[in-house]
Amino acid sequence: MKNKIKIFRAMHNLTQEDLARAIGVNRQTILAIEKEKYIPSLDLAFKISRYFGVNIEEVFIFDERTPTIASG
Amino acid sequence: MKKNSFFLIFGCIALALLVIFWYSVELHIPLLIEIAFIIGIVSVYLAKRKVTDSIEDERDVKITEQATIRTMQVFWVVFCAFSIGAVMQVLHIPTFPREPLGSRPPDLLGPRMMGYIQLGLLCLMIFLYVGFRIYYAKKYGDFETDEE
Repeated sequence: MKNKIKIFRAMHNLTQEDLARAIGVNRQTILAIEKEKYIPSLDLAFKISRYFGVNIEEVFIFDERTPTIASG
Repeated sequence: MKKNSFFLIFGCIALALLVIFWYSVELHIPLLIEIAFIIGIVSVYLAKRKVTDSIEDERDVKITEQATIRTMQVFWVVFCAFSIGAVMQVLHIPTFPREPLGSRPPDLLGPRMMGYIQLGLLCLMIFLYVGFRIYYAKKYGDFETDEE
């Protein structure tokens, strides 16, 4: 699952800490999502996209070829 | 409560448990450390709930969940293997050809040996959990660094 969180953060002039605090997670979680080490839950994905005021598909891009790291 | 205060309380409880454990061994009262251990763990959980400057988010929960599942998956196999061995000792089987009853006392595990094995299993469980926790923390980006 690819994402554009870093781009949206830059557009809104936000640090990882700011975004993390706004949506109630740790900074390390934002970093892990940006680095595609962790796939967020649907709930968190919606929170992030709502925070930026866009649809979820604009922030997160589903890529069938990418193996999911969330399992196992 | 600050996170550092929690670690301080945790350290104090661990130290107190160590003292009670030693005292319990000296007095030969196992119930003392058993009750103290339960009280200690409950106190740690209650203190952890009071921490305000640390958020446990879904990624932390996922890491804990995965580490716990994997630990249990490995641990139950080792535990069952030991338990089956212990049950066979109790039943005194298999012995082929079966010796006449009363010719040899059953080779039961003594309480001291049982204690050592329990200690080994406890250490194994802790090592497994810590190992899996580090593995999943790394997998889910805990040690990632960024320019920020």
